[in-house]
Amino acid sequence: MNVETYLVQLGPELILLLGACAVLVVGATKASHGIASISPAVSLFVVALALLATLRLGVPDGTVAPPGLWLTSLTFYTRLIALGVGLLIVLVNWHQPVARERGEYLSMILFSLLGVLLTASANDLLVLFFAVELVSIPTYVLIALSREDGRASEAAVKYFFLGAMAAAILAYGLSFLYGAAGTTTLHVLGDGAVRSTLAFGSSMGGTALVGLLLVFAGLAFKIAAVPLHVYAADVYEGAASPVTGLLGFVPKLAGFIALVKIFGACQWELPVAVNWMVWVVAAVTMTTGNVLGLLQTNVKRMLAYSSIAHTGYMLIALMVGPVAGQGPMRDGVAALLFYVAVYGVMNLGAFAALAAFKVSGRAVETLDELAGIASRAPLAAFALVVCVFSLMGIPPFAGFLGKVYVFSSAFSLDQSHAFRGPLIALAVIGVVNSAIAAAYYLRIAATAYMRKRTDEVLPTGGSPIRWGLALCSVLMLVLFAWPRGLANEARNATVVLHGSIRPVDARLTMSIDDTLERQVQATGSNPADSGFRLPGSEQTVEQMTTTTPVASRALKPTTHSDQP
Amino acid sequence: MSVETLTICGIVILLAPLAGAVLSGVLGPRLLRGSTHWLAIGGVGLAFITSLVLMGQVRGAPPDGISETVSVYNWITNGTDAVFRVEFLIDPLTAVMLITVTGVSLLVVMYSRDYMREHGKPERGYERFFAFLALFVFSMCALVLGGNFLLLYLGWEAVGLCSYLLIGFYYDRPAAAAAAKKAFLVNRVGDFGFGLGILLIFLTFGTIEYGAVFHMVQEGVTGSGDPLATGRVTTIALLLLCGACGKSAQLPLHVWLPDAMEGPSPVSALIHAATMVTAGIYMIARCGAIFTASPFAMTVVAVIGAVTALFAATIAITQTDMKRILAYSTVSQLGYMVLGVGVYAADSAIFHLFTHASFKALLFLAAGSVMHAMGGIIDVRQFGGLRKVLPWTFATFLAGSLALAGFPLFSGFFSKDEIIHHALMVHPILGVVGLVTALLTAFYTFRMVFLAFFGRQRVPEGVHPHESGPWMLVPLVVLSIGAIGAGYVGIGADGGVFHRFLTPVFAHTFAAHSPASAGAHGVPVVEHVGFWAHYGLMIISGAIAFVGIFAAYVLYLKEDWLPGLIRSIAPRAHRILWNKYYVDELYDAGLVEPARQTGRVCVGLDDYLIDGLLWLITAIPRAVGYLARTYQSGMLQGYALTMVVGIAIIVLLVFGA
Repeated sequence: MNVETYLVQLGPELILLLGACAVLVVGATKASHGIASISPAVSLFVVALALLATLRLGVPDGTVAPPGLWLTSLTFYTRLIALGVGLLIVLVNWHQPVARERGEYLSMILFSLLGVLLTASANDLLVLFFAVELVSIPTYVLIALSREDGRASEAAVKYFFLGAMAAAILAYGLSFLYGAAGTTTLHVLGDGAVRSTLAFGSSMGGTALVGLLLVFAGLAFKIAAVPLHVYAADVYEGAASPVTGLLGFVPKLAGFIALVKIFGACQWELPVAVNWMVWVVAAVTMTTGNVLGLLQTNVKRMLAYSSIAHTGYMLIALMVGPVAGQGPMRDGVAALLFYVAVYGVMNLGAFAALAAFKVSGRAVETLDELAGIASRAPLAAFALVVCVFSLMGIPPFAGFLGKVYVFSSAFSLDQSHAFRGPLIALAVIGVVNSAIAAAYYLRIAATAYMRKRTDEVLPTGGSPIRWGLALCSVLMLVLFAWPRGLANEARNATVVLHGSIRPVDARLTMSIDDTLERQVQATGSNPADSGFRLPGSEQTVEQMTTTTPVASRALKPTTHSDQP
Repeated sequence: MSVETLTICGIVILLAPLAGAVLSGVLGPRLLRGSTHWLAIGGVGLAFITSLVLMGQVRGAPPDGISETVSVYNWITNGTDAVFRVEFLIDPLTAVMLITVTGVSLLVVMYSRDYMREHGKPERGYERFFAFLALFVFSMCALVLGGNFLLLYLGWEAVGLCSYLLIGFYYDRPAAAAAAKKAFLVNRVGDFGFGLGILLIFLTFGTIEYGAVFHMVQEGVTGSGDPLATGRVTTIALLLLCGACGKSAQLPLHVWLPDAMEGPSPVSALIHAATMVTAGIYMIARCGAIFTASPFAMTVVAVIGAVTALFAATIAITQTDMKRILAYSTVSQLGYMVLGVGVYAADSAIFHLFTHASFKALLFLAAGSVMHAMGGIIDVRQFGGLRKVLPWTFATFLAGSLALAGFPLFSGFFSKDEIIHHALMVHPILGVVGLVTALLTAFYTFRMVFLAFFGRQRVPEGVHPHESGPWMLVPLVVLSIGAIGAGYVGIGADGGVFHRFLTPVFAHTFAAHSPASAGAHGVPVVEHVGFWAHYGLMIISGAIAFVGIFAAYVLYLKEDWLPGLIRSIAPRAHRILWNKYYVDELYDAGLVEPARQTGRVCVGLDDYLIDGLLWLITAIPRAVGYLARTYQSGMLQGYALTMVVGIAIIVLLVFGA
């Protein structure tokens, strides 16, 4: 493998990176030149190009592993959905900030997407951390730029400070994992180090457990899970609707992918206590989200709580893990990956519908402002209702299939699965929660259709946002009637978690600093003492080849150790 | 018949009306408005033409390949196998149903072009009407084409939804809104049983594909290879029958259909006479393997059909609203069809379904034409003698009435006769019930004809009756040709073209199990017992039709003081019939009121208990919120604190465990 191969294989990421820089430059030109106004079109082109490159490159065969990265089918799936939904995000954000800030703003969206892509390929704790932060940091800027409103600045500051704290917690947790395992390379971690410390209660068991909990907590912020959900409602309300649509998807996707990677490194053989902890978090997250959602009168806050609740559903699938069951999806992580994509689209659609109208000079936010909008804008109201019904999870919309996949992944667990009973109970809680959630989703639909409206509703945002909205709602129908393509890709994406493939040229990933590596081995010093180095260089090839082949666990129900 | 052609035909039949519906909904309100009907006509017309092509394909097929299951695509897979497939089952039954559905739909859509206008201007909701109508055609075609129980169920629910939307088309009229709600709720009862039946099928056989399920039933095994208990089959059949009772308005779930006449007349003609309500009969015929495996279920089917036929016919005698009379007559005729499948004469039932579709759609459309001319009034007490004013409407209505009354040589005569003939052979008592019903049918049909079209000409005040335009008359004329001639495809010594065509479908189910054909395999379905015996029945039923019509002539035209006399002699009987045996009142007192009371109790609980609890539960966050508000700048720190405390709790709990 040479550098050219890496560059080619990282095409989508490079296109996004260069494109984001280009959009930044285009946006910075003087308004009088008229070039700045094409920045949305350039952004759309960049994302489309990256998507094209993704499709052209196809599913990586798992043999390409640039330093700190490993391109797998999970990378492919993430590229596919992040860039696919990215197109819609760019459409919805087309006209959002004032013209002179548009270049900056759109480049931030591209950087954030780049972060998601890197998260999916990260094969190293440090790269994972940077990638996840690359997702978050641009969103702070996006919120601040999104509208000229004190509330946006307030939301940005809040999100920034709390996000910084979550990042610190995440970094702290990752350092514990490194301390316990002696390596930062994920697939090496997956081959045993963390897992064995967790499972056998070794001397480092406590360290690894603390690391795992803190990492989960840090990522819980990104996915808005209780108790790190507190920011969601304020931030969602403060940011302009198009950004909120992005916030519900991009950080959540990155957070879940990172969780999949971390849990994957433990081979889902989590201590029982951790399993119960995630169980409680999932149950509380969906219940809190839905109950508080019921109490809101601001639609954006309502959807913020709905976003929290959906995190709870997705956590069910995460806990099930890449285990083969009898359900239609057979695999919890595949169900999660399918769900997050569908959620991204329907959530974006709902916010796009809010962003498409102005009532008395400002974008629609509360139920009162939404009242009777169907009589003024029947098509947009219909699209809103499609997205909301899909969020509710009723046929014939894709949200229904998403829920079916997620819940059935728990229901169809093998009898021998140690955590089967609690997971089924959790899925039942999820089903009950979906019913509770229907109340406030229906309220949105009913308000838009049943109430009378007298004052004027001005369409805003131009035609791109309408196209984005239309595509979101049409996708909900299409994915319901034809889920196979996306579902197969999701299923394929989890193959890597079954351990059936591993980076073949892992050795090359380690050759960054061969001399340093030899020194370390010669002196036998603790890797932690050797200062900041590129990860993945701690183990010899011999060590790697002698570790248990992961493939032997492929498709086998995870066995949970009883010792914490 | 190649699989590719069938697949393409099926897809076109589905997508053409769907495209019509979607485009009408999208383009109608802004762009097309008064010409939206072209989209619906185009979509349904294309579906009709494709149905004809499909019929040609099926007719050209060799006998062993006449039933073909084509898989369109795998809807939900588990990675390797399809869990649910979108597939079509195409056989003669499908072809006949498709022709009936799309043919009548096309005529009704054309008729609606003028009907849904006032003084040449489109009514409010004109586009909505055509969008729903086309959506209905799509749903009904999906129901008929579907190759497994899931698609059947989807289509079943979708036609129910369209029916609801169209009954409530004039949603600002309370009666229409209530009728729509009633139809939907009563159907819920039936559909609940139907859904349970399908779930039980899935649990028993592990699949929902028609072919696999029917094969297993005939082999007498379950999905796991165990022998199939008769009790299980009977349960499945009765649950499915529950769905049929709802959709096809059989006792005791018939109450929604008469009220459904609040919808526009074309809707009554298409959905509540010709097509949707026959879905139950189609379903029983399709699931013949399941029903015939349980003699008990078959007897229940036959009894329900016969009793419903008689029951509805007696009510129809006293009603005065033309559309209601026709509605009860539809219930009664559907009863005949259910009786038909119940006495192992599924092909005769489908034959009656086919002829009934044309003459009943005709009657409703003609009644609609009368209503149009009378300015929305349809009560036969308020007008009469319209023969001269509405000559075309009268002629076509008469043709439909003769067919309905079973007048010799009209279509209804042949098809109804066959059912009675089979009923007499299998359950003689039910056959006699069928004959009595035939007498009542002839009587109430011509009571309506004489009251509306004969006698002294009178019209409601302020109404200037006028004959309808060609958009409405052409469908009427086409349908009257059907009402007169449709019967001739099904007669002859060997059962005619129609029966020969359908024979392979029922050869191993109804025909094989029929007591009348001694259970031998491969015996033609319609085995005419002796030439004379059959003509004997024809003569009897012909005479019955004459008697019924004559009685109506005497009572309502010649000696029009007689009905009043009869009413005063037997006031109680009249009151019972006029109030439709008080079934609605019974349901109101027995079901609706208790449900309402429970609802009130629940509302009370919700208002006081739940809201109170919620208030208590939310008191804590509200108190916290209040405290947080008192020092606004503390918000961020508050959030951060919550997060840290949360994480601390998590870590402590995990380590404590």
